[in-house]
Amino acid sequence: MRSLLDFIVKHSYVFLFILLETLSLVLLFGFNDRQKEAYMTSANIVSGTLFEWRSGVAQYFGLRKENAVLVQENSRLRNMLYELADSQYVETARNLSAERTIAARVIDNSVRYDDNYITIDKGSRDGVAKGMGVYNPEGVVGVVMVAGNRYSLVMPVLNGNTSISCKVKGSDSFGFLEWNGGDPYIAQIVDMPYHSAVEQGDTIVTTGFSSVFPEDIPVGTVASVEHSRNGYTLKVQVRLSVDMSDLGWVYVHSRMQDPEIDELYREIKD
Amino acid sequence: METVSFFRRTGTLLGLALIQVLFLNRIALFGYVTPLFYIWMIVRFDSSMTRSGILLWSFFLGLFIDMFSGTPGLNAASATLLAMFQPGLVKLFVPVDRHDIVVPGAVSMGGRPFAGYLLLSTVLHHTVYFILRSIPLGDWQVLMLKVALSSLFTFILMIVAEYSFVVPAPKRS
Repeated sequence: MRSLLDFIVKHSYVFLFILLETLSLVLLFGFNDRQKEAYMTSANIVSGTLFEWRSGVAQYFGLRKENAVLVQENSRLRNMLYELADSQYVETARNLSAERTIAARVIDNSVRYDDNYITIDKGSRDGVAKGMGVYNPEGVVGVVMVAGNRYSLVMPVLNGNTSISCKVKGSDSFGFLEWNGGDPYIAQIVDMPYHSAVEQGDTIVTTGFSSVFPEDIPVGTVASVEHSRNGYTLKVQVRLSVDMSDLGWVYVHSRMQDPEIDELYREIKD
Repeated sequence: METVSFFRRTGTLLGLALIQVLFLNRIALFGYVTPLFYIWMIVRFDSSMTRSGILLWSFFLGLFIDMFSGTPGLNAASATLLAMFQPGLVKLFVPVDRHDIVVPGAVSMGGRPFAGYLLLSTVLHHTVYFILRSIPLGDWQVLMLKVALSSLFTFILMIVAEYSFVVPAPKRS
């Protein structure tokens, strides 16, 4: 008995090793992406503050480009405003009032992993919630995955779990945008119907079916089209319009879901 | 005496973790190469430390970096594994008859054995790190390339650190 105790005391570090290693692996594999808690991600307050500080310094180097993009967007918005003022369809204003954009700054970002994440400096206290769409003047960026109090974690297009509903601009052919790793400038649309009229160079935009994104936010341009193996759908390679490795300010699209739509979904589920 | 060294170690831990999170994690040369210089702390634990101490320090170093990298458990697991083998690795490269306290370094071990020790430790750590990172395992060749190039980069950084900060400059005669 005594020698057994001696053995255990002498080799206690082995047990400690097993304990720590198990703990690490549980952390590593136990955290499903969908259930990630904000405090274990970069949306927690400590790393949020740290990244904010760093990007505050780094931001100055991108100001010139950032300004150019903003000016372009301003002019486009101005044009839209004039068109709206001219137009007769005032009832669209009812829809618009339910929508809101929250401007946020990207404070951490990666493009080189199979599952990339972005951290932004706005959280639930600013009105950001899970499932909201994130875009910038150039196009779609991603979807909010975890909303912490002051920071949020965004699942960008460059993540294996992303699926964004999009269509060919000016037509009704739609599909879901996915990304399988690799080139951070190219994503794929799978499940686009066989008969869709898609050609190289076509512009891909969001559908606005779900309330995640407003309609007609640019996604990218068609780089190539091929038939999928089953022959019923097309596989479309999309050159993304946003350079994901160079993100500054983004908009979070927040829209009050029409209670009637919620009601309908609930009826379907029951 | 002990408390001073505790605070110093905490300082080293925080410093290395910050360097890793703020700068090195952002590096992705050719899309593959990410130096994991923080293992510098683990390879330099001296032989007077208890094995449990080495394990705990390494675990918390890894966990701390994980918290900022959005990879819970990844660095903790690979750092703990390296910590488990660290005393053994030192013994591999130090003459058997030495019983004094060995702080792994180019002076105490000799330049070549120290370089061998660093290289072996780095490859061990990086292999575990990149295997865990790429589960489910897909492309073996890409994985090996990542391990090889990142190990090389980390190794070079550690050699540079050793000869610019630790080894005293040769006196001029």
